[in-house]
Amino acid sequence: MADNTDKTRIQVAIKERKRVGYTPVVPDTQLGFVHNNVDCIGCRACEIACKDKNGLPPGPRFRRVMYVEGGRFPDVFAYKVNMSCNHCAEPACLPTCPTGAIFKRQKDGIVDIDSTLCIGCRRCEAACPFGAPQFDPTTNTVSKCNMCVDEIDAGRKPYCVMGCMMRVLDIGPIDKIRDGTHPTKAIGPGDHTVRQVRNMANPDLTNPSIAFVPHPKGRVEG
Amino acid sequence: MTSNSPRNVPSMAYFVGLFLMLGLVLWALPPDRGAATKMAPAERTAAAPAAPAAPAAVETRPTSAAAAPAEPAVPTAVIPAAAAVAAAAAPAAATVAVPVREPGADYDAARWSPLHFRPAIDTATNEQCLECHREVLEPSVRTASPAGLPAAVTLAWYQTLDTYAGPQDTFHRRHLVSGMAQDLMDLQCTFCHRGSDPREEAPVPPTLTDAGFTLRKSVNPETSCLACHGRFPWEHMEGLAGPWEHERETYEPEPGTNGCLACHNSEAGFRSVRHRVSYLKAEAIEAAAETNADTCYGCHGGRSWYRISYPYPRHPWPDMPEETPEWAKGRPAASDPRYALPKE
Repeated sequence: MADNTDKTRIQVAIKERKRVGYTPVVPDTQLGFVHNNVDCIGCRACEIACKDKNGLPPGPRFRRVMYVEGGRFPDVFAYKVNMSCNHCAEPACLPTCPTGAIFKRQKDGIVDIDSTLCIGCRRCEAACPFGAPQFDPTTNTVSKCNMCVDEIDAGRKPYCVMGCMMRVLDIGPIDKIRDGTHPTKAIGPGDHTVRQVRNMANPDLTNPSIAFVPHPKGRVEG
Repeated sequence: MTSNSPRNVPSMAYFVGLFLMLGLVLWALPPDRGAATKMAPAERTAAAPAAPAAPAAVETRPTSAAAAPAEPAVPTAVIPAAAAVAAAAAPAAATVAVPVREPGADYDAARWSPLHFRPAIDTATNEQCLECHREVLEPSVRTASPAGLPAAVTLAWYQTLDTYAGPQDTFHRRHLVSGMAQDLMDLQCTFCHRGSDPREEAPVPPTLTDAGFTLRKSVNPETSCLACHGRFPWEHMEGLAGPWEHERETYEPEPGTNGCLACHNSEAGFRSVRHRVSYLKAEAIEAAAETNADTCYGCHGGRSWYRISYPYPRHPWPDMPEETPEWAKGRPAASDPRYALPKE
């Protein structure tokens, strides 16, 4: 998010059409999600809690539980991958926005969108490798998960996390989640998290703030 | 417990008492109330008080009533049973969504059309795609945001490049019908849309390779967007001490010059064979670069959404060093066969 100095500089540059650059925000702390692919039962309570919280019409889904199934008898398997906006360290949606509607919070790295500033160009939707921005054709605007930022500011957790009956979805500082020092029920004893699971876009694109406890068949390294 | 058990005697007395109580309750009910419970739904509606039912039936079906011819007013008291049932069902009809699908279109068949899958999609033309998806080329950007921010006065950082022209537009139109897209590119729908699975499940094949899907996304930016929206890898370039936006003044002392071409020419020995792919117009790009400094930078850092760079293939160029630098090891020496141009 640009500070006031940047805003002034950008406004001047706009008038002169002078080239300006883009500098990603480096947050003080980066919050992120952790999802246990193995223990998730795919009940979609998180999806519904999210739709309820955000008043979403049919169609847009900020959070999505994806079923991954495969194998050949008797070696068959099924697991779930659960993703919303991954509040990337360097989000691809943010630099695409021509109106400044998308911004990243300095204190916790949450990538939020002010949809009242959206003009519906849908560039963010195209740029996001994880399908997070959701287009609402009824308003011709884009909206997305903001990690229930109002709940975060109130000291609580997002609705999706609170709705998870299996406690396989949680949030926390992503660096602590990754090194296993964040206390959470989503990571069991002996579990180790990974940045990417099979069929997921390359995390090097944006460094998404999400970790998975992968199913053995979902490990990228095989 | 069996039926001839002596312990059944109190149970029988209990049930006899229960039936007697039920009979008393039925006897105490008013006769019309008891009859109402035996009526058919249609009869029950006709027998209901007329005044509140009639307006409700008329007012709560806006969609169908608006389209249907006006019916003569019928006193509710003489509504036939079938009509009364229809009137009672009207509130439910009012909740039915207005159909947004075109009549006669078979969406399920279209969804699973072979054209959406390999191998047919590899040879699909824009005309075939736009036959159904023509709305992607219609201008659809709002004139102002819901808060009143006019689209005409907004400008993103990358839109301050010299190559950017025209009003705010959708990404589909920018890549297919804008002036720059027409002049310098030859993008096909299938460059990005390479066959998607309309389900949201991602099957894992028996092998350990990816199934070719991207969870939650039908387009993989790494193989499409990244080619022109990757980071500018200035660390790998000799003579550059920082990102191009900081260094360009050193190489472009006068307006209108293109600092990239100061090194990237056939004499200097840096990569001078480039853009040899069918989705770009290489000659037009080279010509535009001579007169517009941002032609190169626009796609090589000026619109970088992603934090990594695209691994461009190293087509041999004149005076190309024999030894491959560390950062370029593993890169292909030719373009993707789908887009490679025939060798001259």
